[in-house]
Formats: sequence, structure tokens, C-alpha cells
Amino acid sequence: MNTPIIDANVQPHFRYNSEIRRYLSATHKLRSIPDVEQQWYQAPGGDYREDLYGDGYPGSDPQTVARHLFTDGEVDYAVLNPLTRGNIADYLLNSRICAAVNDWLLDRWLEPDTTDRFLGTIRVNPEDVRGAVAEIERLAGHPKMVQVGVPMQSREPYGKPMFEPIWEAAAAHGLPVAVHINGGNGVDHAPTFAGHAYTYPGYAAFMPLNSFVHLATLIIDGMFGRHPGLRFVFADGGYDILTPLMWRLDTFWMSMRDQTPWVDRYPSEYLPDHVRYCTSALDGPTDESQAERWLDFTDKADLLMYGSSYPHWSTSSPDDAVAGLGSTQREKVLWRNACDLYGIAAGVEGSLS
Amino acid sequence: MQRRPVCAIEDLPPGSMKLVAAGKFGVGVYNIDGALYAIANYCAHEGAPLCAGYVGGTNEFAPEEPGGLRHVREGRIARCPWHQWEFDITTGVNVADPNKRVRTYEVDVADGQVYLIA
Repeated sequence: MNTPIIDANVQPHFRYNSEIRRYLSATHKLRSIPDVEQQWYQAPGGDYREDLYGDGYPGSDPQTVARHLFTDGEVDYAVLNPLTRGNIADYLLNSRICAAVNDWLLDRWLEPDTTDRFLGTIRVNPEDVRGAVAEIERLAGHPKMVQVGVPMQSREPYGKPMFEPIWEAAAAHGLPVAVHINGGNGVDHAPTFAGHAYTYPGYAAFMPLNSFVHLATLIIDGMFGRHPGLRFVFADGGYDILTPLMWRLDTFWMSMRDQTPWVDRYPSEYLPDHVRYCTSALDGPTDESQAERWLDFTDKADLLMYGSSYPHWSTSSPDDAVAGLGSTQREKVLWRNACDLYGIAAGVEGSLS
Repeated sequence: MQRRPVCAIEDLPPGSMKLVAAGKFGVGVYNIDGALYAIANYCAHEGAPLCAGYVGGTNEFAPEEPGGLRHVREGRIARCPWHQWEFDITTGVNVADPNKRVRTYEVDVADGQVYLIA
């Protein structure tokens, strides 16, 4: 493929779960901390690509990941979005966990990388609003930190005003907020509106769609309207239901506008300025011949960024992610949209095209 | 298009409406604070009898107010009985999407008689 490629969703891991303790201060080093993998709904055979298990966790060795993505693969830049432990009951401890993950990402991945191909995510804990803002302020100035990361498994929709100081801080620094599935440690809500799925497919098919609750409230509660620079990235896909759900939201807005008059345009009109999705292997038409037309609904070609989900079992290659798309659509999805969002256009065009 | 008698002006006091059998769907003639307006009884959305809906005001965003809302244009907004679309009776323009509108008509008064041009 003769186009630059930005992988907007790579998930680096600690080599082993207790490695995080090296990045916690003495005050928290001996606290009990859940493991990184969720305790329910693990994929049959493991959450991560079978061939990547070995000495240390899949995706835990920067040289190996760089070789898989940059050398064997065709990727030019990769945005690293590590897991924390999702929601845990002790919100103050969780903020220290987020800080430890960020320090580890800098220490093990971003600062040793002289090729400047790895970019990073500032993980914060939205249940600790002050702590999250402080963490953004601590690290937003780092040139390789290109976004703020929060778990999809929030216990309140992200459009609620309680979270506003976090989004305000991210927007003030020009950092998008990436929402990534990250939980399963006991204090999350059930993953579907009707409770717990029985099986992994029941869980995995539905889970990314929860992003729409965050999206709908961010629009309707006026968060995007109040913060023109606020941008959200939904890193696990879920965009194959975007069109019908935006149709619903637009329809309801025509009827109920007087309840939320701060929404001063069709809800769908907020998407281009505020919303991006990473590709996922589970989204899109199963019939490739419909992909090009399908992507044009709701102008998704402008919203979608290639994200491999490496080292997840569902890791998708750039070719698979854009199968069936037109050439302009492919360029947007593989690199242009991510360039624009993360402000790395100059670097990519200068070094590659 | 013809000039049709509607009623005596005394029978159309401020805040009231007369539905006139004009055209396929009828036309509603409204008295809003002493000024007369007329709109088609046909919602731009799905053709509902718009003039059967409530007439009231609408809400605009007012961040300094409790609830963030201010009630404005009282008596000027027709709400469609089917899906609550709001139209400004004085202009025919939809409140949410100004690209959508219902047809408006001329109204005049001569010798105490209201006439509709429709």
C-alpha cells in the first residue's frame, strides 16, 4: 500500500501485571490492584493474539511491537492507548494507577523511541475530576502525548456536567479524548441495557455500541456546543450503528428542540467537528461490495481512523480495514483523518509522500 | 387564489384562530395580539393538520436563567399535533430548522370583515 498509515489504536501492555508497582510511589505500592485483563467476558483463547503470548504480555515489548507494526506491517505512526484497570472502587487509588501507567508509557515507550513513531495517551480517571484535570495539566505539555484517555465503562454518561472540567482541560490543550473499553473489575455497570450477556459474543457484539450513550449526551446536554475545541474518539468502533442512531437523534431534536435549545443545529451536524471513530474488525457490512456506499452514510469517511487494536485477538490490518472502500475514502481512513486530529500532518507528509 | 370572507373581526379576538375551508387542507387564520396571520393547515413534515395543534411560545437558550431556558414568542408558535414540530405563525418558518416552512397567506380587514387571500 503506497500511502502513509497511522494506526490510531494500539494497546501496549506491562510485561507482567505487577510491573505497574515500579511506577507507584511508596504510598500506594503495596495496595491491592486488579490485573489488567477483565475478569469476565474474556475471549475464548485469550483476549490477545495467540501468537503474541510468550515472554511477557502480548504487546509489552516496544521493540517487538515496533517490528510488528512498522517493519512487518506498513504503519508509520502508532498512537498508544494503554489500559489502566478501568473503574475500581477506590477512585483516589485509581488516579495513582493512571499516573503510574502514564509514567510507564513515557519511561518504557515514548522517551526511548528515537524514531518518534510512537505517540501516547494521557490516561485519567473520570471518577476523580480534580485528579484527572491535574493529570492532564501534568502531562499535556509532553510533545508525544496526543490525547487523553478514559474508559468506556463510565458509571455516568460523559455528557453530564460533572465531567466538564476534564473535557475543558483536554480541549484547552488541544487534546482529543479517547474512549476505550477498559473495565471488568467489579464496579462497572452491566455491559448491556438489559444486564449481563451470557456469552463472550453476546458481550463483544454489543459493548462498543455503548459509546452512543456517551455521544448522544455529549451532543444533547450541550457539551460540544459549549466547547468548540472538544473532540472525542471512540476507539473500539461502534460506528456501524452511527447512521440509524443519528437519524433517531435528529428526528427527536426536530420534535423536542424546545427542551434543549442550546443544541442549535441538527445533532448530526456536531459530528465533523467533534467526533472520530477508530476502525474495528467487527464494524461494517459483511458484504465488501457495499462498503464504499455504506461509508458515505453520515459522511463516515471523515470520521473514521484506522486503528488496529493490536495486540487484541481482533487485530485488523490496514488492508482489511479499508477493504472495499474508494481511494479517497482509503486515504482519509488510513492517515488523513488521524493527521488532522493529532496535528501530525506535517511530519507524515514531509517524511513519506 | 381568491379573496374569501372569513368572519367579522369581533369573532376573531386576539389569541384565537379560524379554520377556513380553502384549498385541499384548509388555512388557519390567527389573531396574534391584534395582528392577523394565516398558515396552511398542513405540516411540512408529514402533512398533519397543523392548525389543530397548540399555540404557545417556544424556548430559547438562556444560560443565566434557572434551567437554562427563556420562554419567548408567546402566542406565535404553532406546535404540530403529530410530532411537535414548531412553526412561527407570523413567518411560517420552522423553529428548529429554518429551511423548513409552511405556506403563509395574506389576510386583510375591510369594514369589520376579515378576508383571506388563498
